[in-house]
Amino acid sequence: MAPPAMGQSFMSANVKKPLFHKRSNQQEVIGGEIGVGEELSYLLLVNFSPIHRAKCRIINEATRGYLLRSGERSGVTMFCSEKKSLEVERIVKANDHEYNEKFQYADNRIHTSKYSILTFLPINLFEQFQRVANAYFLCLLILQLIPEISSLTWFTTIVPLVLVITMTAVKDATDDFFRHKSDNQVNNRQSEVLIDSKLQNEKWMNVKVGDIIKLENNQFVAADLLLLSSSEPHGLCYVETAELDGETNLKVRQALSVTSELGADISRLARFDGIVVCEAPNNKLDKFMGLLSWKDSKHSLNNEKIILRGCILRNTSWCFGMVIFAGPDTKLMQNSGKTKFKRTSIDRLMNTLVLWIFGFLICLGIILAIGNSIWESQIGDQFRTFLFWNEGEKSSVFSGFLTFWSYIIILNTVVPISLYVSMEVIRLGHSYFINWDRKMYYSQKAIPAEARTTTLNEELGQIEYIFSDKTGTLTQNIMTFKRCSINGRIYGEVHDALGQKTEVTQEKKPVDFSVKSQVGREFQFFDHSLMESIELGDPKVHEFLRLLTLCHTVMSEENSAGELIYQVQSPDEGALVTAARNFGFIFKSRTPDTITIEELGTPVTYQLLAILDFNNTRKRMSVIVQNPEGQIKLYSKGADTILFEKLHPSNEDLLSLTSDHLSEFAGEGLRTLAIAYRDLDDKYFKEWHKMLEDANAATEERDERIAGLYEEIERDLMLLGATAVEDKLQEGVIETVTSLSLANIKIWVLTGDKQETAINIGYACNMLTDDMNDIFVIAGNTAVEVREELRKAKENLFGQNSNFSNGHVVGEKKQQLELDSVVEETVTGDYALIINGHSLAHALESDVKNDLLELACMCKTVVCCRVTPLQKAQVVELVKKYRNAVTLAIGDGANDVSMIKSAHIGVGISGQEGLQAVLASDYSFAQFRYLQRLLLVHGRWSYFRMCKFLCYFFYKNFAFTLVHFWFGFFCGFSAQTVYDQWFITLFNIVYTSLPVLAMGIFDQIALDTSYWTFINHVFIWGSIAIYFSILFAMHSNGIFGIFPNQFPFVGNARHSLTQKCIWLVILLTTVASVMPVVAFRFLKVDLYPTLSDQIRQRQKAQKKARPLSSRRPRTRRSSSRRSGYAFAHQEGYGELITSGKNMRAKNPPPTSGLEKTHYNSTSWIENLCKKTTDTVSSISQDKTVKL
Amino acid sequence: MEETPPHCLSRLPDNSALKQQELPAHQLYFTATRVLSAFFTMGIFCLCMGIILIVSARSTQEIEINYTRTCANCAKLRETASNFDKECTCSIPFYLSEKMMGNVYMYYKLHGFHQNLYRYIQSRSNRQLMGKDVKAVEDCSPFKTSNSNTPIVPCGAIANSMFNDTIILSYNINSSAQIKVPMLKSGLTWWTDKYIKFQNPSFKNLADEFRGTTKPPNWPNPIYELDEKDPRNNGFLNEDFIVWMPGAAFPTFKKLYGRLNQTHHFKEGLPAGNYSFNITYNFPVTRFQGEKSVVLSTLTWCGGNSLFLGLAYTVTGAVTWLASFAMMAIHTMLKSKKRSFFHQ
Repeated sequence: MAPPAMGQSFMSANVKKPLFHKRSNQQEVIGGEIGVGEELSYLLLVNFSPIHRAKCRIINEATRGYLLRSGERSGVTMFCSEKKSLEVERIVKANDHEYNEKFQYADNRIHTSKYSILTFLPINLFEQFQRVANAYFLCLLILQLIPEISSLTWFTTIVPLVLVITMTAVKDATDDFFRHKSDNQVNNRQSEVLIDSKLQNEKWMNVKVGDIIKLENNQFVAADLLLLSSSEPHGLCYVETAELDGETNLKVRQALSVTSELGADISRLARFDGIVVCEAPNNKLDKFMGLLSWKDSKHSLNNEKIILRGCILRNTSWCFGMVIFAGPDTKLMQNSGKTKFKRTSIDRLMNTLVLWIFGFLICLGIILAIGNSIWESQIGDQFRTFLFWNEGEKSSVFSGFLTFWSYIIILNTVVPISLYVSMEVIRLGHSYFINWDRKMYYSQKAIPAEARTTTLNEELGQIEYIFSDKTGTLTQNIMTFKRCSINGRIYGEVHDALGQKTEVTQEKKPVDFSVKSQVGREFQFFDHSLMESIELGDPKVHEFLRLLTLCHTVMSEENSAGELIYQVQSPDEGALVTAARNFGFIFKSRTPDTITIEELGTPVTYQLLAILDFNNTRKRMSVIVQNPEGQIKLYSKGADTILFEKLHPSNEDLLSLTSDHLSEFAGEGLRTLAIAYRDLDDKYFKEWHKMLEDANAATEERDERIAGLYEEIERDLMLLGATAVEDKLQEGVIETVTSLSLANIKIWVLTGDKQETAINIGYACNMLTDDMNDIFVIAGNTAVEVREELRKAKENLFGQNSNFSNGHVVGEKKQQLELDSVVEETVTGDYALIINGHSLAHALESDVKNDLLELACMCKTVVCCRVTPLQKAQVVELVKKYRNAVTLAIGDGANDVSMIKSAHIGVGISGQEGLQAVLASDYSFAQFRYLQRLLLVHGRWSYFRMCKFLCYFFYKNFAFTLVHFWFGFFCGFSAQTVYDQWFITLFNIVYTSLPVLAMGIFDQIALDTSYWTFINHVFIWGSIAIYFSILFAMHSNGIFGIFPNQFPFVGNARHSLTQKCIWLVILLTTVASVMPVVAFRFLKVDLYPTLSDQIRQRQKAQKKARPLSSRRPRTRRSSSRRSGYAFAHQEGYGELITSGKNMRAKNPPPTSGLEKTHYNSTSWIENLCKKTTDTVSSISQDKTVKL
Repeated sequence: MEETPPHCLSRLPDNSALKQQELPAHQLYFTATRVLSAFFTMGIFCLCMGIILIVSARSTQEIEINYTRTCANCAKLRETASNFDKECTCSIPFYLSEKMMGNVYMYYKLHGFHQNLYRYIQSRSNRQLMGKDVKAVEDCSPFKTSNSNTPIVPCGAIANSMFNDTIILSYNINSSAQIKVPMLKSGLTWWTDKYIKFQNPSFKNLADEFRGTTKPPNWPNPIYELDEKDPRNNGFLNEDFIVWMPGAAFPTFKKLYGRLNQTHHFKEGLPAGNYSFNITYNFPVTRFQGEKSVVLSTLTWCGGNSLFLGLAYTVTGAVTWLASFAMMAIHTMLKSKKRSFFHQ
């Protein structure tokens, strides 16, 4: 490999001596939250949007669960950022410890734990006292230690404080213990290291930078390695990066050819003394720049040569690598970062409430202090002799000042520390209920719902806006080939049972499960006419199917049973290739240079000359193949809008016909691709190919040149037709959307998909209906256009209301006003807004932002299509900021991560495309429909429970504490308490904590009635029992004998409680407090019945519930011609195929043969599961549709 | 990464009532019959209770005689601390129009004496009063030790300010003959106070036990000479002392001083007739604009003659009952309205 320019510039930059600061060998990785797990459970969250660039985190899914994120106490800090500035570049010499030690690189030991035994107490305490509540109670404690103002003994505060702090500390300690355990487990993993020319087993933590280590199949990679050689040809090796980026497909890494020659020759490897100069440790997973200098030549290194820690070696029996980054410097660990903690509005409310209460407390304190001053000067004077004897006189003002503080101490119980703890406990309980809910368990994939954040439950009950991703969330991301248009004729319009028969006769091979799993099982395209056309040998139809069989990046392989398995990169392609296969054009196998297919039973091998890969700007992919007759053809498939521009002028008639068909498909919500080919001249192709090779070798503007060449050859295409693939909705989406909008929750669809597809999904989900008064489509390409469109839409919306078309200046002033408070005007009728990504970019500019928001919030449904992940987040932020509404974002893929992170609540759909969304989310479950239960049951209950809990809590504490205020007027404002100190100490944490908790956890708002389970009973009666037992214990002779000063109440309880009038007073108090409430609630039901009261009455009256009317999806809206193009495909696969890198080795090494099959088949096992489950669901769905 | 096998049910949450939030529960429905009947019964119960309480409170008898003004000269004398050794007595005659039946209790009552001040209440030493360590005065500030650093027994502000009037009730059998009404100085305290909370160091010689200590500054005599007549009623076990020591919650309070010894003339209680209180006036109250009275009272099962609880019950009962009527009226009215609405 020729050393590219990059490497040279790198070396020239290298002349400067690298800057290194002294660093401790054992870098502490603070913030990585790593627990025990069978696997190395560092799962890393890749951040896509720039705003979240810095916020990455590592999460362990196996053990830590939601507890992990439940508190701020983790105090996560980024350590990597400060280090980056220290190391400018890294120089590593293989097999040379002495050389490398000069730089004091971190070794491979990782520390995700935060504490050691010695540092635990100080650090943990320090962290805990950073919490406002704890600090506040510490202040109180200090106040109490001042004898002059101490009105309560120290234990009234220290007992709850110590209890709370101990509980937290124990939790932190356990967490940290598990982190230590997992650190140890990880650090003690064995790996084979080349030491003294021998392979020796060494613990991971002892692996040093520059070491050469040997990895075997299915092993975790110990550190970031430079791949030197592997068992596979060309120095290839395969890694699974699921733990890094959540992608389950295998990635290919290739060693430099010079190093791959080393093979497994230990002696040669031991002599390897290359020097790697590379970038300093960083957290970019997909970038690596470096230079290997060995044997007087230099080789540039890129990401392809690097195996990162956290990956698993697959399909490769062994490989050797040289450690470049170890331990905390690895990219995996560098990506550990701060987790952003979300707070709920109840939290914020409570914070303000608590502030108000503090204010109130200070007011009370001031009143009592003034009272004390007055009392002291009027009456207290005369009591001086009783109190002070021969002490110095005090001024009444000073006494008032001291009294103020004393009362602050006494009255602090209005906001007791147990409030915060109780809230955490309640939320934890609610989270468990979510985890335990069988109604949110997706049995087909064995995925239960998971509350990953425990602190947000009650926010679920206040959601006003839901931002939903489309693919994988609303839809199943399962594509079925439904229709096609070939040469101006539509096929696939007949869906009858006869079609089934056709298929059976047509399929020569036995029904192949694995094949079907790739497509989605219900292949119901069995239009006779297409079969007939094939049999008749219609050349266009054959060409069409041939194209589908040839133009793709699908990989095929045979499993042990000899069945053909397609490994697809995008489900659209899978659907197309499998469709072609079902029609007799079977894609059999491919090598880097050939594609073997079976055309109606005859195997044909095409020479694959080039793959013109797909990317998002091209929106098409092409292959150039040469058939056995030597004809060179370019087959292309892609977006109709793009492809139609590339057509040969002779296609005009067909174009208009096909374009009609396409818009018909699009109207049905199908995803369309246009299909075209071009016959190439041999000479022309050769010239072009040479230019392409030149361009590939170019160092400058390589991509641009290649793109230009692609453009050059992809022209004068001959249109063949179009395909239509159905994007299936998830189960229960329609019902969920209906009930959520009945609950006045607005659902916005934010999708990267095309406008038309998105609109059609909107129709399918019942979000858009033909009943709607108007649907505004904002698709302007410039700011002015967008502004105008928005203005028009608004005018339309407000009808005669001329206020809004008052000209520019007035409008702007108005906007300014409205930005502060967006007033919701009442708009009659349903409206929908559809806006695409381009327009959104303009609309999100500050001056139009408010127009957009106002318009959008008036609309029942908003669909934003073709939005980038960043825009998703921006839309969410916009609503969050200017609407002050509680938002929820739900998505399944990496592109939803930013949105999930910015919304108040992020929900991840688990069991889909990877884990990023789930990892970033606060809640995760397997199906969109569970959102209904999450919000309308769990959220609602949590919110009510939390509100009730807070009311109850504040009530009991006010009732408890304000007694002291009133007593102040009797005791000369001397801060004497009414209750004994122990009662004050235990009131909140022992006597009254459990009943409130039980209510907060178990109460249900079933028709606005209180819900007393046996647990509530146990807690209430138990608390009373505990109260009395503690009371009698504290008032017993024994404890007085031991601590006469602390427990001077001997005999009080038994003497008071034998007094009859005490019981009479208790009874009277109970009656007098309960009766008004009961009367109020009784009258409220009569006078101002709530909805649930009415329902209950109606239920009583009619003895039957009215079924919820669910609207069926309306007939499709046939509008102007639009494109239904959609294609889920990624760039880069074409290159892989042509390079042959991902081709299976013809003769798999004997050691790994079995494992290989096994591991390759994981994906089909997964698909098989999907298949079986989906069959069930689809059958049921089909039934409902048919009925 | 291993894949979860299909249909693996191990992750299926348990189907327990607790986890599925389906625990059987009481749901409080406020149905008309339930609420109204509860109100009716509660109302009747409270009314009855109130009447019973009022009747029984009215059956008690109580006489309260305020002697602050009657003994104005003594009060004046006591305003000057230097006159502490000058004895001042004061006699207050009164007429008992109705005889007081059964156990009669004599109380002294202080008005405006703040026994509930924080510093006052804290200023005592339970360890000392238990008799274990008579020199344990650490909590008694500022009455810990005398000026010569000898620990005060009993220490603290409460003990120092002990009520020290002597009140003798005399009965005029006829115009000339006066007999002293026998009052018991025992059984005034809780058992736990007498036998656990307050203990003398030993029963032998109190004066020896308290050697090395000094009396509180306001006291005329040391603790072991509180009751000259009954040697057992001395030291920390002195009933008056025990009665004084618990702080009263409000500035106006009464404390038990003695109970009638039902013998001779007084077997059935105090007969009607002329009585007088002979008071040795020691305790100064005018200095803090306080007043003091002496109270004679009989008790019933529900305490003294305070009508408060009875009245509170009556009022609550009446309100509940009225409320139940009002609620019934509103409910039936709305119900018929709704019914007619539904029938239309």
